[in-house]
Amino acid sequence: MTWKVVRYIVLLVSAVIVVFPVIWVVSTSIKNDVDIFAIPPILVPQHPTDSRYVDLWTYGLLAYLLNSMIVAISTAAVAILIGTLAAYSLARFRLPGKWSGRVSFWILSTRMFPPIVTVIPLFQLMRFLGLVNTRLGLVIAYTAFNIPFVVWMMRGFFVEVPKDLEEVAMVDGCSRMRAFRSISLPLVVPGIAATAIFTIILSWQEFLFALILTQTSASATLPILVSSQVTQYQILWGQMGAAGAITMVPVLIFAFSVQRYLVRGMSFGAIKG
Amino acid sequence: MALRQRFALTDETLKYLLLAPTIVLLLVLTIYPLVFAVAAALQTVNVRTGARSFVGLGNFINIFRDQLFWNALKNTAIYTGAGVIVEFVLGMAFALILTEKFLARNVFRTIFLTPMMLPPIVVAIVFKIIYMQQYGVSNWLLALVGIKGMLWEAGPATALFSLILVDIWEWTPFMFLILLAGMQSIPTDPYEAAKVDGATWFQEFRHITFPLLTPAVLIALLLRLMDTLRIFDQVFVMTGGGPANATETLSLYVYQVGFRFFNVGYATAMSFILLILTTVISNFFISRLQAEEVFTQ
Repeated sequence: MTWKVVRYIVLLVSAVIVVFPVIWVVSTSIKNDVDIFAIPPILVPQHPTDSRYVDLWTYGLLAYLLNSMIVAISTAAVAILIGTLAAYSLARFRLPGKWSGRVSFWILSTRMFPPIVTVIPLFQLMRFLGLVNTRLGLVIAYTAFNIPFVVWMMRGFFVEVPKDLEEVAMVDGCSRMRAFRSISLPLVVPGIAATAIFTIILSWQEFLFALILTQTSASATLPILVSSQVTQYQILWGQMGAAGAITMVPVLIFAFSVQRYLVRGMSFGAIKG
Repeated sequence: MALRQRFALTDETLKYLLLAPTIVLLLVLTIYPLVFAVAAALQTVNVRTGARSFVGLGNFINIFRDQLFWNALKNTAIYTGAGVIVEFVLGMAFALILTEKFLARNVFRTIFLTPMMLPPIVVAIVFKIIYMQQYGVSNWLLALVGIKGMLWEAGPATALFSLILVDIWEWTPFMFLILLAGMQSIPTDPYEAAKVDGATWFQEFRHITFPLLTPAVLIALLLRLMDTLRIFDQVFVMTGGGPANATETLSLYVYQVGFRFFNVGYATAMSFILLILTTVISNFFISRLQAEEVFTQ
């Protein structure tokens, strides 16, 4: 066999391995118990049912969905607002001495913290402030760990806007803030959109903070709903699949919509892609 | 006009003003917990009475005698080492295959990105379904080739391996994505020169691709190492650290000590060890990256 044939076989087999679990979770979510426990396993359900989704709905799906949406969107809004300003400052101005680099890397290094290190003190702080079990508590926590990401992403986008453009405007009498608003900002709007979508995805799928900072459906997000289908006594396979599918689909849509910026997003803006 | 100019912000003021909210928030939400953690790690709390007492380095001394801690450290090391190495090798192989030009190449590129786009929690439950003992796809596939079914994530001998396999499925695409992007940023001139000199494929890889790929390799390894050292979600959902602590990672053990047994001081002390570990590793990579002039303007 030639290399070309081997290559296609390797790629096709890999593609099946890559795609199968995604299809399997959706397939499981519309199977009844007979189909879930069928041998050999069946891909297309013989008796498709929406009962898993109905069960989740009565379990309180709407509350989890709303919590996830509110938390993710609020986090993105606040993190983008705060982070973009800092990114602009780091991209346009120099701090005295080596402080530009130091501040940038300090901001990045906070993202390297394992979350388990911060989650215990953060839990105590939130309890003290009465923010455990509230969406606000989650938004604050998520904003903190998304800001380093926003700063690094947006810094990259601002660096790409030529300094001269703003300076020409300022010679014409614009103030710096005016030049920022009417020249640089419009040019980085695609970057802001991409960064916001990444932030929404990261908050949407976050699990550890959600697990610890929420206890009831007052603030619990979708990943908590997914994991709660594994109970002490049994695993609710069908519901688990349905909850998984609901959590997964928006993320997939969002992720593929920013595919152009994926390399940048996944590498903290280090590789332009 | 004169009045406006007097109140207009100078760049000198503005640059600090714009940075301030980020810095304040990050200080409050990272440095505060750190300071808190140092204090907590030096104390022990009596769970029944709630009384706190100062134990100095007692918690840290206990860690070194704690079999479960060493077990968790060992599991984390195996998970990180095995996972990242296999992901790197596979990711590199796929990146090399998919830099070549052929029919439907871009379709494959897009498909291969899917796993890393899924929420980790969803990946965990899908594989729990796939690993299902009597009715799972994995054991059915093994039966097809005549191998007796395994317990996968539920068996003490196979549990850690099963979790690593999930990590490889989920994150090889990440290595692939970053390495592919790195390869595409390499100029074509050196390859043309190599062709003229009659270099073999391996020589090209060894002397052109790999050296010029260093920044991408460093970033890919750094980010994967940080993620595997802190691994929690998949382990929590798939095994909860079991069976018999076979898959208990550092993050999971800290969680259990802190939030199941409410031994906050001890949990914090252990989380410090994890922090030191990740800081040492990430500093090594970040200084290499700075030397390579990645991450600079």
